[in-house]
Amino acid sequence: MFRFQSLDEDCTLEKEEGLVEEEDEIDQFNDDTFGDGAIDDDWQEEHKRLAELEEQKNDGLGGLGLGALGMGGMGGGNASTVHLPPPASRERGGGDLAESLAMLILGADPAIASVGGPAGPGDRSTGLPPPPSVPQQHHHPSQLPPHHQLTSYQQHQHLLRRGAAPMQQMNSHNIWENNMGFGPVSVTPGLVTQMEDSPLMSIIKEVGLPNRPPPMMSEDERDLSERAPPPRSSSPVIGSPPVRAVPIGTPPKQLMSHAMNHHQQIHHPTTVHVRAPVHHQHRYPPSFPERISPNTLLNIANSPLCRRPFPAGVGPVLSQIHRAQMLNSQVAGFPRGCKGPPLLPGGGGFRPFFSQPPPHRMGPHPGGPPTNHNHVPCPIIRHNTTHLHPQHRRMLTQRMQSRGGYRGGRVGDWRSRDPYSNLMTQREKEWVAKIQMMQLQSTDPYLDDYYYQNYFEKMEKRQERDRDGVRKEHTTKLITPQVAKLEHTYRPVQFAGSLGKLTVSSVNNPRKMIDTVVTSRTDDEVRTTHTTISPDSCVSRVLPFSLLLFFVFASPVTNVHHRLTRLFSSICPPLSCRVSDEQCLLIMSVRKGKRLISRLIPFLPPLQAATVVMGIARNLPALAKKDKQDQVLCWLVEPVAVVISSLSSASLTDLLQELQGTEGQLSRVLQNKFGVTMLYLILSEGERMQSSDLNCQLMDDNRWTELVFSVTRELLNVPPSSLSPPLFTPPNLLSLFSRYVDRQRLELLQEKLQISALSR
Amino acid sequence: MNYMPGTASLIDDIDKKHLVLLRDGRTLIGFLRSIDQFANLVFHQTVERIHVGKKFGDIPRGIFIVRGENVVLLGEIDIDKLCDHILQQVSIEEILEEQRLQQQAKQKTEKAKVTALKDRGLSIPKADNLDEY
Repeated sequence: MFRFQSLDEDCTLEKEEGLVEEEDEIDQFNDDTFGDGAIDDDWQEEHKRLAELEEQKNDGLGGLGLGALGMGGMGGGNASTVHLPPPASRERGGGDLAESLAMLILGADPAIASVGGPAGPGDRSTGLPPPPSVPQQHHHPSQLPPHHQLTSYQQHQHLLRRGAAPMQQMNSHNIWENNMGFGPVSVTPGLVTQMEDSPLMSIIKEVGLPNRPPPMMSEDERDLSERAPPPRSSSPVIGSPPVRAVPIGTPPKQLMSHAMNHHQQIHHPTTVHVRAPVHHQHRYPPSFPERISPNTLLNIANSPLCRRPFPAGVGPVLSQIHRAQMLNSQVAGFPRGCKGPPLLPGGGGFRPFFSQPPPHRMGPHPGGPPTNHNHVPCPIIRHNTTHLHPQHRRMLTQRMQSRGGYRGGRVGDWRSRDPYSNLMTQREKEWVAKIQMMQLQSTDPYLDDYYYQNYFEKMEKRQERDRDGVRKEHTTKLITPQVAKLEHTYRPVQFAGSLGKLTVSSVNNPRKMIDTVVTSRTDDEVRTTHTTISPDSCVSRVLPFSLLLFFVFASPVTNVHHRLTRLFSSICPPLSCRVSDEQCLLIMSVRKGKRLISRLIPFLPPLQAATVVMGIARNLPALAKKDKQDQVLCWLVEPVAVVISSLSSASLTDLLQELQGTEGQLSRVLQNKFGVTMLYLILSEGERMQSSDLNCQLMDDNRWTELVFSVTRELLNVPPSSLSPPLFTPPNLLSLFSRYVDRQRLELLQEKLQISALSR
Repeated sequence: MNYMPGTASLIDDIDKKHLVLLRDGRTLIGFLRSIDQFANLVFHQTVERIHVGKKFGDIPRGIFIVRGENVVLLGEIDIDKLCDHILQQVSIEEILEEQRLQQQAKQKTEKAKVTALKDRGLSIPKADNLDEY
């Protein structure tokens, strides 16, 4: 990133001059030509300034070779400036060459951001500051505040142009002096403590500083060859696109300081070739752009500020320290009027790896830059940091800010000493934590995270036990976010003026294909159009019966009667001699019900049994119809037979009457096997009664006779095909019929009976 | 600030020295500087530590960015307890040499095993430990 100009005797100054001026070698991305480095309106002013200075400082440093000049010529400014100072210096002799160079470097170099323009002119007269040890930065305390407003590069340039070119170096040192420090170091407290947390400083401390260069004085012979190449701002790589202000994939957007906004305009970072003298006391340095990476800090410090062309051995790392110090001193300020950028203890080579813990040699610095942090919001653009990534700069500023508030409470002390700590900002940590929390959203934590919940409960209990609940808040509980109950129903997108629902759908909002609406018929709405007896209701009635019946048999004898009564009463409404037809039908319409009745009848008291049988007889046609599928009415035969045989004559007659019932019922009865059987049973019983018991009252009223007559009539009339064969034919039917019908009919009846008997 | 107490969030591990074992078997030791939601890790001042027997060697690697899916395990190292009683640190060259020898020996035994199996008519397909396609 930094075009480190090696300024040995083969310095390609001429070549570079030519490079700049040759039209056919124009590089589009070269800032020198087209970018920031191409500002070339300074040189005249610079020249004037320098000229004035030269005249004033005749007894300056003297003896400084042009090597120094060449070195100083690097950095800000422009190409053509280079030409002038050397000649000027040469004119005045070597003595004031150093002066002019220093001035040039400190004053005109945009890379060294000057703080405080007004100091410039005023300082012209002051001439060279006293020897290095006296810091002068405290002389101009008042200059700081206004200059914190100066944030833009343009403003800085303005300052430069104002020609504040006193011989004020950053730390009021002679730029030739070793304030940037090569060599093992006296740690000047001010700077170091300011920057104690900065990665750079600690690195610098670790690394140590390069050795002091030999004094420049003896380098007269190096002249043109040592001249500084034209100041260049560097594009990071020639031919590469400009650095993005916010690179792709940046996670949280850092808050941009005011300064940064200006800086966004500057895409090409400028090199940190410090050439011009600093304007005046950089007492209040612009705050560091946040978190310059240590390497870049080193690069910053790598200004050839007070160096002559380096000996070859000096590597970039070392020279960067100069920049660091310069920068740092500007950044940190000098609260206690300390001597200037402290030099770091030499530590041997750069020890990037932690075979030992990073050495911390900075003394504790309780004071910190006193006013620095108050004014941070608008840091002055450090032009030697313009090469930095905007985020780096911001982060560095942020870190600087945070340093100010960090006093005492050294919780992670080693961490505070760790120069690379807090690379991840608080905001970023929160961002990651937020994403992680999003995964924990849950409507039912016990379902989603059973083990964690249990673990936490156990832990809490244990803590309560241990601490007796004194410190309740000991463990902080992880509060997972609750899932918002959102409306998830689909609402089709509707646009005004459109017809219907448009096909606007997405992954999260899929389109419904059909506007189906769920309709469920409630029970109220269910209406039977005709009086059908749903099987459900039948079974629901029957089932309890069966249960009851079961209990009847299962229970001890004493309860039987009671249960039976209950059973019966459920069929037959109490206090009525008729079985409720509806109930009976319901029960009998299911097969189970028929079986139930058939089981029940034997256990019923005779009267009730008779009632039941009556009911059956009465409803026989309907039952027969229902039974068409099941054909299980015949289960009833046996019990019914038993009942019939126990019937009295009157009830028998009633039964027969019931059986015959309405008009046409008998024919239906005859069609049904059970019906026929029942009929025969009745008749047979009647016959038996008559034949056995002379006092039978069956004949007392005419009903029996009439009924029998109607039966015979029916039997005679019914076609043989429709006469259903009974289960059995009692033998005494003929004798019964013989009483009532004449011989002819009797024979017919006989045939009928026989047919039925035969067909069975 | 206590980030997500009771969880294994890596936020509290930041700026601490960690040892991470990767899926390809490498062991890295470094300061954990940054994480993200995928547990991608940014290690600083990373050292790859190779263990062979009781010897180990550290190869400095600088800054490492580890993709989260390649992490097998990650554990904090106590800086204060930095002495390895049992293990003996050797130079990089030595440990690499040792590793090479170890690999060689392993390959030899593996080869011998395969040959022996082949002679007996069995062929066990080599388990593919690496996700190489």
